[in-house]
Amino acid sequence: MRKVLITVRLPHGANLESARRHLDLAEDEVDTGYGLIPVDPVNDLYAMRVTEAASLRVAGSHPEASGPYADPPIAPMDRIEPYGRPE
Amino acid sequence: MRVLIQVRPSPDLVAAVADPTVAVTASDVADGLPGVVLDHAFAPVAVPRPVPATPGADPLSLNQPLTFSMRPDEASVVVCGEIADDEISTRVSLLPMTRREVVAVYADPVIESCLTCGDDPAVGDWHDVERLLHVAELADEGLDGGGVALAVVDTGINAAHAERVLGHEITVDEDRSWSPHGVSGKPGEHPIDHGTMCAFDALIAAPKASLLDIPVLLSRRRGGSTLDGLLSDAIAAYAHLRDVLEAQPARSRALVVSNSWGSFSPRWDFPPGSPGNYSDNPAHPFNLIVGSLAEAGADILFAAGNCGRDCRDSRCAFPDRPIVGANSHPKVLSIGGIDTNGERVGYSSQGPGRLTERKPDLCAYTHFAGSQAFGDTEPDSGTSAACPVAAGLVAAVRTRWPSAKLSASQLRTLLRRTADDRSDVGYDHDYGYGVVDAAGVIAALRRRAARAA
Repeated sequence: MRKVLITVRLPHGANLESARRHLDLAEDEVDTGYGLIPVDPVNDLYAMRVTEAASLRVAGSHPEASGPYADPPIAPMDRIEPYGRPE
Repeated sequence: MRVLIQVRPSPDLVAAVADPTVAVTASDVADGLPGVVLDHAFAPVAVPRPVPATPGADPLSLNQPLTFSMRPDEASVVVCGEIADDEISTRVSLLPMTRREVVAVYADPVIESCLTCGDDPAVGDWHDVERLLHVAELADEGLDGGGVALAVVDTGINAAHAERVLGHEITVDEDRSWSPHGVSGKPGEHPIDHGTMCAFDALIAAPKASLLDIPVLLSRRRGGSTLDGLLSDAIAAYAHLRDVLEAQPARSRALVVSNSWGSFSPRWDFPPGSPGNYSDNPAHPFNLIVGSLAEAGADILFAAGNCGRDCRDSRCAFPDRPIVGANSHPKVLSIGGIDTNGERVGYSSQGPGRLTERKPDLCAYTHFAGSQAFGDTEPDSGTSAACPVAAGLVAAVRTRWPSAKLSASQLRTLLRRTADDRSDVGYDHDYGYGVVDAAGVIAALRRRAARAA
């Protein structure tokens, strides 16, 4: 199932399991491979990836959570695939 | 931006401009125009007035038979000048209103057709880049990157290939390298590709830097086979890099992060203005973590992108302002590309940026024969090469100037201030503050060291 990016403010030292419990998320709603990523430790802000449905539920019921955020593909700015020179 | 200014001075002055035996300067014709730096090397040119060939015809239409009058009371004069990019629309509107002799202000576009484009062969080689970056002089100052952590966030590094082409051993710091979940392969042992080119180019100025191999673009979480990852992989990578930085002793903290990647299309993004948007939104988690890492003392550099108007990459899908998201973050250096002749490559993205207007910040060298990562005759190209070239210079500086002595913000300012300005009015959206100038940086550091002594 497609996963999306959300952020959540959690007590300092949170881990994926405590985040999952705090946000009432089932295990299969969370990208456990991605984990819980500290985005801004000073402000105890974390990122995680959850299913789209879970992101909407969490954002609606937990004011400390926000999202979904865009998670666009990123690509190297390498060899140019030319349009060609302007005429 | 260069402009042509059409003015209608007194008939005597028009006659003087039209007379080849009389020397008239730009200042004689149009001195003191607010916000305009006149080009004094450009001699004013008299321009005839189009006049309908048929008496009584519409005097404003150019779609009819015309004659051209050089009568001093009808002709006008054109001078050249430059207006700061961020003032252009205001000045163009206000000048004719505030100065009655100004008829109009026109663009003066560069008309050369020889900008380096993606399918052109290499312009010079990496030894030229070495020379242009004053690498020998940097080394004499002890600025060789020794002990400096230089993270290459890309497709992974093949150290053996880089060593073979560079002709010396390199250091890949396995312990502090990091891979996204599911990416296999040891640091420094990835297939030869884009990341190897970036590592090679970073080592030109900082041959003794310790490379941190961060192959986020090898992530296959989308299930694809092309070389790309997801922005969430980069968030996780940056969290790791912050741990790396914070584990260093505060006195000697130095971490340079080179990012030759970006988002090419708004297709997978939320629209600007949406709370979840990435391209224009400083509150997106990746833009937050970039700010957080920079605040902790890291020097972060991003490629400006290959969406320059002259010959952009066909993947570029943003309709305008292609320097988006973290590539335009206020706390990173956004790097455009020039060739070894000092000319902007036609594909180097122009500003303004989306998170910060003044992007790119600087330009560095690209499109040279270097790593051979894509074959013996393929140049290291794109702003992908320019970014690590600049990152190498930053890493060289950090050898003796950790962030405790020269903060990331101070170093960004120093690089902008010492850059070789390519316009007469300071910042412009093609070259930013100018081309990185290692000799200027060395001189500024010497002065700084003398003041501190």
